[in-house]
Amino acid sequence: MKHAFLDEYSGLRSPIHQLDPRAKLVGFAALIVVCVTTPPNLYAAFAVYLGLELALLWLSRLPLRHVARRMLIVLPFILVVAAFLPFFSRGGGSYNLGPVRVSGHGLLVLWNVAAKSTVSVLAVILLSSTTPFPDLLRGMERLRVPRLLVALLSFTYRYIFVLVDEMQRMRRARDSRAWRGKWLWQSKVVGHMVAALFLRSYERGERVYAAMLARGYGGGMHTLYLYEPGIMEVGFASLVMLVPLAARIIL
Amino acid sequence: MHHRPAVEIKGLHYAYPDGTVALRGVDLLVEEGEAVGIVGPNGAGKSTLLLHLNGILAGRGEVRIFGLPVEKANLREIRRRVGLVFQDPDDQLFSPTVFDDVAFGPLNMGLSREEVAEAVSCALELVGLEGLEKRSAYHLSYGQKKRAAIATVLSMNPDLLVLDEPSSNLDPRARREFSELLQRTRITKILVTHDLPFVFENCERVVVMDGGRIVADGDVFSILSNEELLKKHGLELPYGFYPMHREMDGHRVEEDRG
Ligand SMILES: Nc1ncnc2c1ncn2[C@@H]1O[C@H](COP(=O)(O)OP(=O)(O)O)[C@@H](O)[C@H]1O
Ligand SMILES: [Mg+2]
Repeated sequence: MKHAFLDEYSGLRSPIHQLDPRAKLVGFAALIVVCVTTPPNLYAAFAVYLGLELALLWLSRLPLRHVARRMLIVLPFILVVAAFLPFFSRGGGSYNLGPVRVSGHGLLVLWNVAAKSTVSVLAVILLSSTTPFPDLLRGMERLRVPRLLVALLSFTYRYIFVLVDEMQRMRRARDSRAWRGKWLWQSKVVGHMVAALFLRSYERGERVYAAMLARGYGGGMHTLYLYEPGIMEVGFASLVMLVPLAARIIL
Repeated sequence: MHHRPAVEIKGLHYAYPDGTVALRGVDLLVEEGEAVGIVGPNGAGKSTLLLHLNGILAGRGEVRIFGLPVEKANLREIRRRVGLVFQDPDDQLFSPTVFDDVAFGPLNMGLSREEVAEAVSCALELVGLEGLEKRSAYHLSYGQKKRAAIATVLSMNPDLLVLDEPSSNLDPRARREFSELLQRTRITKILVTHDLPFVFENCERVVVMDGGRIVADGDVFSILSNEELLKKHGLELPYGFYPMHREMDGHRVEEDRG
C-alpha cells in the first residue's frame, strides 16, 4: 500500500533545501518561540513573521498548492475551537454583530490563536518540506536532542505505515468474514484487534532489537553526518532568528 | 578448501523464559567454506539455533565460532564475523533510509566516515541496489528488501553468512536473483529454510532438525533423495522435482543410471 511521504518535496533543490538541517531546526524553532511569546496586540510583528516565511517559501520553490494543502490539514482544528471564543468569553468591551454580542477580549484571543498557529504551522511545513526526515533526525542528534527521543522518532518514521498496513490487513480479514454485529461486540472485536496489533508491535520490537544486536549495536546510535555548516547556514540562522526578534523588540 | 571449523556446537540445550524447550542437545560442526542448509518443520528449533551463533541467545552447552567461544568478551568480534539475516526484512531494516541501515553495522564497528561510505556502496553494488541509498525501506519491493537485508550484513565483511528463511515470500524471479546473489557470495553459509529446491541449488550439505535435535546430516543428494526421512520430518519435495547428483564445482550432472 502506498502512503504519502511525511517529507514530500524535501528532495527538491533550492537554497533552503541545501542548508544544513541544524540551521533550519534552530532558525525555525527560534521563530516559533519568538512568535508564540509575542503579545497579540503587536500586529506589525506578526506581519514581519509572516512576511519572512513567505520570502523563505518563495526561495524554497515549494509548490504553493502543497503548502496550502498542508495548512488546511492542521489549521481548521485549531480555528474551529478558537472561533467560539468571542461568543463565550467576557470582558474587554463588547461589540454588537447584528443579533449576537462578541467580546473584545474574545476577539483578541481568536486573533492570538489564529496568528500564532498560522505562523507556527507554516514554519513546521517549511522545515519538513525542505528537509528529508532522516536528515532532520540527524540534525537533531547533532544538536544533542536526547538520543532516546531521536530514536523514537526514527522508528516511528520507519514503522508507522507498516503498522497502518497491518491494521488495514486485519480489518480486511475481519470484513471478509462478513463481520457486522452490534456495537457492543463490535467494541469487543475492535478491542481484540488493538490487542493483536499491540502484541505484534511488541514482538516486532524484540526482533528489531535482536537485529540491531546482531550488527554490533552496543547502546550508542552512530550515524554519518554529511552536511558541513558554512556561511549560508550562519546567514540563514541569524536571519530567521534576528529579524523576528528585532521586529518584536522594536515594533 | 580450508578445513578449519567455522562453527562448533556441542551439546547445546535451550529453553525460552516461558519454559518452551527449543533445543535438546544439538551437536554441529561446520567447516570454513561450506554451504549448509538446515531444514525441518515449523517449531523444530532452527531459528533458535541461529540466534546462538552470535550470542543473542545463550543456552547450556558449547558454541565456538572460528575457534572463539561465544561469550561476552568475544561478542564484538563474533558479531562482526557472523552476518545474521533475519526472516522478515522489515525487522532487519529499521533505519529511516537504506543507506543508514547498511551503514549501521560498519558504524558500530567504529569505521571512519570514508570506510563506511565505501563499505556501503560495495555492499549495495553486490546486491544490485545501487542508487537506492536514500530510499526508505518502506518504499522498496519485497525482493529489494530481502537483498537490502543481505547488504546490511555484507557491509560488515562477514566470514559466515547466516540466513533465516531466505526464499520465503519471494516471487520466482526474485527468488532466482536471490539464489544467484548467494552463489556469488563465496563465504561460509548457513541457510535455514523449508524450500528444499532452494537448498538443493545453494548447499552441498543438509542438516535435518526436528524437535530441537539434529536428526540427519549428510550431503544434499543423499538427504533430499531419502523420501522416507523427509516424510518422517514433515518435509516434501515439490511434485515433479527430482534431485540429481552434482559435481563438487557446483554444476549439476545427470545421475549415472548405468
Ligand atoms: N520468543 C519465544 N518464546 C517462547 N517460545 C518460543 C519463542 N520463539 C520460539 N519459541 C518456541 O521454540 C520452539 C522452536 O522455535 P523456532 O526456533 O522458532 O523454530 P523454527 O525456526 O524451526 O520454526 C517452538 O516450539 C516455538 O514455539
Ligand atoms: Mg523459524
